[in-house]
Amino acid sequence: MKFTPIQLEGNVNVSKSHPLIELLWLLGGLVLLTGLVFFILGVTADWAVSKTPIKIENWIGQLALNEFPAEDNPALEQRLQALLDSLPEDSALHQYDFQIFLSDTEDVNAIALPGGNIVVFSGLLELMESENELSMVLAHELGHFAHRDHLRRLGRGLGVAVAATLLFGEESAASNLISKTLLTFQEKYSQDQESAADQFGLALLTRSYGHAGGATDFFSRLEEDAGSKLPYILASHPHPQDRIDALNEQIKKKHYSIAKIQPLSLEL
Amino acid sequence: MGILLQNFDLVIFLVLAVLGYTAGSWAEKKHYRSINQREKELIKLVVVTAEGSFPPERIADAALVSGSVVVSIDYFKRLLAILRNIFGGRIKSYESLVDRARREAILRMKESAKKRGASIIINMRLETATIGRSANKKKSVGSVEAIAYGTAIVMNK
Repeated sequence: MKFTPIQLEGNVNVSKSHPLIELLWLLGGLVLLTGLVFFILGVTADWAVSKTPIKIENWIGQLALNEFPAEDNPALEQRLQALLDSLPEDSALHQYDFQIFLSDTEDVNAIALPGGNIVVFSGLLELMESENELSMVLAHELGHFAHRDHLRRLGRGLGVAVAATLLFGEESAASNLISKTLLTFQEKYSQDQESAADQFGLALLTRSYGHAGGATDFFSRLEEDAGSKLPYILASHPHPQDRIDALNEQIKKKHYSIAKIQPLSLEL
Repeated sequence: MGILLQNFDLVIFLVLAVLGYTAGSWAEKKHYRSINQREKELIKLVVVTAEGSFPPERIADAALVSGSVVVSIDYFKRLLAILRNIFGGRIKSYESLVDRARREAILRMKESAKKRGASIIINMRLETATIGRSANKKKSVGSVEAIAYGTAIVMNK
């Protein structure tokens, strides 16, 4: 028998498919999977939030408040009270015992913590030019309480972390990747929450002052140095211009009147 | 510019993935060309896994020959593998890596046998190992080692 060596054509040990096509399939699957997980978590978190008594929320709030060094501020309290007084009788917000604090931080922000605690950063106050603007910001935060957004966010965040860790282990690359994808969904959800809180704020502002003057002033000042809309795809808040447009549309739809705004009194 | 700085880790990730894909597939194509060409050149040198037995007077020399190679994965292949870890199935991106390593190891073994003037390698064995303790851990790039060894036989003319 004569030995004739032949070189084999092709390669059975390597799959033929193109790696980029495989990447597309896998990424598509990942987005679909995390979207589904986020949806289920959302439904569960929302259900749990609706069953959570305000007492438990107050307890969580006390824990959260310890994270922020803040002081009472009578001037802010007075304005918040004015807004609370103009709430409808049947509003669920009456169950909260609201407290407002001023924190000496340069951030332009205000946050709603569980249990009716609102923390306003001094950086935000410095930008305020009228009473109406300030009321709009406070009413926006009250909107977060009305929709119980702070608890929802907490529930979803916890759910995401727990699910990714349980499925893929604490320090694995896969759970890292999944958390990052989920975060994108989370930001989108957060933008929707902010828009809803804006709408609530607008309605309350109009109830309190009898007109919608000053509702968009603060956002137009933010808009001046907000720049391009592109970075806002991944941000927790919508682009200021989008917020202004949404508010103006609502003002037009509800035929809110716009009257003269009151300048900020100086005691702050 | 601001958006690039804000999502710096995302940018690094994309750059690494694109770099991994372009550099990785260029190196792989080049390597396969070289493997195919050298396999053709060395095709006359027979390699078998059988033990083989020859009449002692025909054998001039018998010696251990080995060839080993280490190939690193690239970032893109790792990304595909991580995604595969989620869904399961064949990790196709690693198949070519192991294939290249094994064939290169056999080629190196054959080259060293050829230098000795051998005409056949018997009892060939192949082994594969991961290099580095961190080969399968997060945020580290693993690599694969393949070693081929066998007995090179130099025949009497």
